[in-house]
Amino acid sequence: MNEVVEMTAPVAHAASGRIAPDHDAVVARKEPKILVCDANEAAAWGVVLSRPDMVAVYPITPQSSLAEYVAQFVADGVLDAELVEAEGEHSVLSVLHGAALAGARTYTASCGQGLAFMFEPYFRTPNLRLPIVMSIVNRDGITPQCVWGGQQDAMTVREVGWVQLFCETVQEVLDTIVMAYRIAEDRSVMLPVNVNHDGNYLSNGIVRIELPEQAEVDDFLGAPDVNWHAALDPKRPMGVDPLTGGATGPGPALFVGYRRGHCEGMQNALRVIVEVHEEWARRFGRRYAPLVEEYRLDDAEYALVTIGSMAGAAKDAVDAARERGEPVGLIRIKTLRPFPLDAMVAALDKVRAVGVVDRAVSYGWNSGPVHQETLAALQYCPHRVPCLSLIGGLAGADLTQAHFERAIAETARLLVSPCPREPVWLNAEDR
Amino acid sequence: MSATPTIAFDAARCDGCGHCMNACVSAKSSDAHRAQPRIQILRDDESGRWGIAQCRQCGDPRCASVCPAAALEKGDDGIVAWDGERCVNCLICTAGCTFGGIAFSAAEGHVVKCDQCEGAPQCVAACTRGALRYVTTANLYNRWGDLEDLFVPGLGGCQGCNTELIMRHTLRRVGSNTVLATPPGCIPGMGSVGYNGMLGCKVPVFHPLLTNTASMLTGIRRQYKRKGRNVTALALAGDGGAGDVGFQSLSGAAERGEQILFICVDNEGYMNTGAQRSGSTTYGAWTATTPIGESARGKTQDAKNLPLLMMWHGCEYVATASTAFMEDFYAKLEAALDASQRGFAYLHLYSPCTSGWRFPSASNIEVARKAVETNFAVLWEYRRDQGLKLSRDIEDPAPVTEYLKLLGKFRHLDATQIAHIERHVAEQAQVLRELARMHPREGRQVVGHQSDLMAVDLDQ
Repeated sequence: MNEVVEMTAPVAHAASGRIAPDHDAVVARKEPKILVCDANEAAAWGVVLSRPDMVAVYPITPQSSLAEYVAQFVADGVLDAELVEAEGEHSVLSVLHGAALAGARTYTASCGQGLAFMFEPYFRTPNLRLPIVMSIVNRDGITPQCVWGGQQDAMTVREVGWVQLFCETVQEVLDTIVMAYRIAEDRSVMLPVNVNHDGNYLSNGIVRIELPEQAEVDDFLGAPDVNWHAALDPKRPMGVDPLTGGATGPGPALFVGYRRGHCEGMQNALRVIVEVHEEWARRFGRRYAPLVEEYRLDDAEYALVTIGSMAGAAKDAVDAARERGEPVGLIRIKTLRPFPLDAMVAALDKVRAVGVVDRAVSYGWNSGPVHQETLAALQYCPHRVPCLSLIGGLAGADLTQAHFERAIAETARLLVSPCPREPVWLNAEDR
Repeated sequence: MSATPTIAFDAARCDGCGHCMNACVSAKSSDAHRAQPRIQILRDDESGRWGIAQCRQCGDPRCASVCPAAALEKGDDGIVAWDGERCVNCLICTAGCTFGGIAFSAAEGHVVKCDQCEGAPQCVAACTRGALRYVTTANLYNRWGDLEDLFVPGLGGCQGCNTELIMRHTLRRVGSNTVLATPPGCIPGMGSVGYNGMLGCKVPVFHPLLTNTASMLTGIRRQYKRKGRNVTALALAGDGGAGDVGFQSLSGAAERGEQILFICVDNEGYMNTGAQRSGSTTYGAWTATTPIGESARGKTQDAKNLPLLMMWHGCEYVATASTAFMEDFYAKLEAALDASQRGFAYLHLYSPCTSGWRFPSASNIEVARKAVETNFAVLWEYRRDQGLKLSRDIEDPAPVTEYLKLLGKFRHLDATQIAHIERHVAEQAQVLRELARMHPREGRQVVGHQSDLMAVDLDQ
C-alpha cells in the first residue's frame, strides 16, 4: 500500500489519506489496494500491472497525464519497460510495430489529432496482426479548434480493424487494459485492442478504485505471446510483408486470405472477450458486461442506447424515470468492434423503441455512428424497432441527467408517432 | 584472407611492344616445347588501344567452378592453380573465363594459364613502360569476399544500377545477425523483401512504411537490447524514405541516439516510381514532375543537404560515400557499423540512376566518379568527438560541366542554370571546407584515383 501511495499524484496522496488512513491495517486484512485517481492514472496502473516490454508515448490533451504517469512509473522503477519518447504519434505506433515484431508486449495511448496523425501505422497494425494495446482518451476532432472530449476519434476509425472497447468507469478502465492483453494475445484473435475512455469525463474524473495484486495479474495474463506468427528475428529469418501479386499470380488469394483471416479473428474475439471478462470476474470479483450491458431492460418498453462514460448519467435518468413509472431501460455497448450482433439483437428485441445517444457524428447519414450501428443490428431483429438518433457531449459538452431525461422523453414519443429523420442535438441550446 | 598479389595492366601506358609476351614464352618454355604465352597483348581495332588477356586470379574463379574434374583451384596464395593430373582436356574452363585468362596450347597439349612465376612474374620485369605492375589488389574482395552474399541472386534492379552493389556489399559486411528495413523504393522494388512468398534475402527483412523506418528499427533494436541480444538494426532507404516523407522519424531517432545503422541510397528522386522530383533532386534537373517545357526548365530549387542535416543532429557517425570509391565506402561502413553500437549512424551514398538520370547503363561508375571529382558530391565523414573531415582533397576540382554533360537530365541546361549549379557546388564545397577547418585533426586522407585506392605497389 505504501508504495502505491508514494507513486501516485499529489491529489491521490491527499485523497488516499482520507479513504484508507491505516495502510498497514489494510494490508493485514488482505483487502484490496485502494487508489483515488482519475482514469488516466488508472490506465497507467493497468499498464504497470500488465508488464509491457515497451511503451512509446507522445503527449496530447487529454491523454497527457497518462503519458506522464507511465514515464514517472518507469523513472521510479515501478514499471520495468523500455520507454520511447517518440517525436510524434506516427512514430509512437511505428516503434511498437518494430518492438512487437521483435516479441515485445507493448502499450501506447493517444486520441483525437494524435490518432489522426497516427493513422498510417494505425491502419497497418491489425493487418500485421500485432496484439498492441492502446488507450484512446477520446477527444473530439478539430475544426473548430478543440481539446475537449468526444468520441469522433474512435468512431472515425471503426472500420480499420482494431478491437474497440469502451469503458464506463475509472475502475473499468484499469481492469479492461489488463484484460485487453489477454484478448489481443489470444492466438485465435491476434489483433490490437483500443481501450477507450472518455476525455474529460473519465480522464479527469477522480474516484476510488481498487488495484489488483500484481501476482494475481501475472497469473491471469501469463507471458507475452506476440510474434509467433510474424517475427523480425535473426534466429527465425523471414520477410515480413513482401509485395503481393496484384491481379496476377497468387496475389488475390493471398490478399483475400489476409482479409478473411482478419474477419475470423474479429469474430473469435467476441467469444474471447466474453471468456476473459468471465475469468476476470471469477478471479478479481468485478463483473462487467463484456459486449452489451442491459440495464433495467427486461421489463422495459423502450430504451436508450449508450456507449462509454455517459451511461452513468443515463442510468440515473433511467432510475428517475422508473420512479415516475416510465418503462425505460438502457443498453450500453462496451464492445463496438467486433460488433456484438447477437448480444445487441437480443437486447433490442426486448423493447419497442430505442433512442441512440452518440458523442460523435456520422455526417453523410445525418446521425451518429452508434445510431448507424444500431440500425444495422435492427435488420436482424424479428420485429421492427424505431430508432432515434440523439447527438450530444461533443467537444466536452456536459451530458447531464437532464439531457438524458429529454432523451428518454424523445424516445418514448416513438411509441406513438413516427421516428424523425433528423437527429436530436442535445446540447444545441447549451450556452 | 590477406591481400594477395596480382598483375595490374594500365592500357594507357602500353604501346604493344610485346616484350611481356616474349618474356613469358622464355619463362615457360622447356627443351621439349616452345610455350604459348600466358599473357596476350591484343589491339582493339575500334579504340586503337591495347588490351590484355591474362588470368586475373579471380576471387571466385569461374574456370574452377565450371571445371568438371576439379583440376582448377584457388589457393591460399591467391593463385588459381591448374593440376595436370586431374585435367581431362575438356576445355570448358576456356569458355568459363571472361578474360581470356586460360587457353589451350596445342604445343603443350593442355590448357595454360598464368601462375605469376612463383612471385616474380617475368612479364612485369620485361615491361619497360610501366604498363604492367605486380601489386596486391582486390583488398576489398580479399578481406570481405568470402563473406556470404545475403541477398538472393537475380534481384530485379535496372541494368547498371549501383544500388544493388551497395546493398550486397553492405549486407555482406554487416552480416546475418541483422534486421533489415527497406522502405518502399528501388531497394524493395528490386525484390529484397520478396514477391509472392518468395524471399529476397537471407536475413529478417521487411517493408516499413515509407515514413517510419527509423521508428520501427527503434522498437526492434531496443527490444533485443532489453533481451540481451545485440541485433544490428539496419536501414537501406532511398532519399524520399530518408529525407522527405521519412525525415521526421529519421530525425527523431537520430535525436534520441537510437542505435541504428541508417543507410540512405540517394538517387536524387523517386526513381522507382518513374523518376519524380524529391527534396534531394538537384537544381535544374529534369524529372517526371519537373519537366522541360515552354515555361519550365527543370527543378528550380537546390537539393537539401541531407547528410549535413544529419550531422547537426549530433549523430555518433555521419558520412557520405560513392560507389566509385569502394575502399572509402567500406572504411565508412566499418566505422558506421561500429558507431551504431553506441548511437545513431548515418551513411549517405550517392548512387547515380541509369534510367532516371538518362545515361548509358555502362557508365554508372564513371558518372559516380565524376560527381566526386567535380565536387558535385563531396565525400566526408563526421564523428561526434572529432568533427567533420574531408575524405578526399576537394581543391582544384574538375569543372562541374564535365559531370553535367554526362547526364541526359541536364541536357537542357542554359548558361544561367549552369552558372547557378557551379556557384552552388562551390558554396557547398566552401561550407564543408570551413567545417573541416574547424576540426583540423589528423584525418584519414584518401586521395586520388580509384586504381590508387585499390592497389598498393608491392615494391614501395
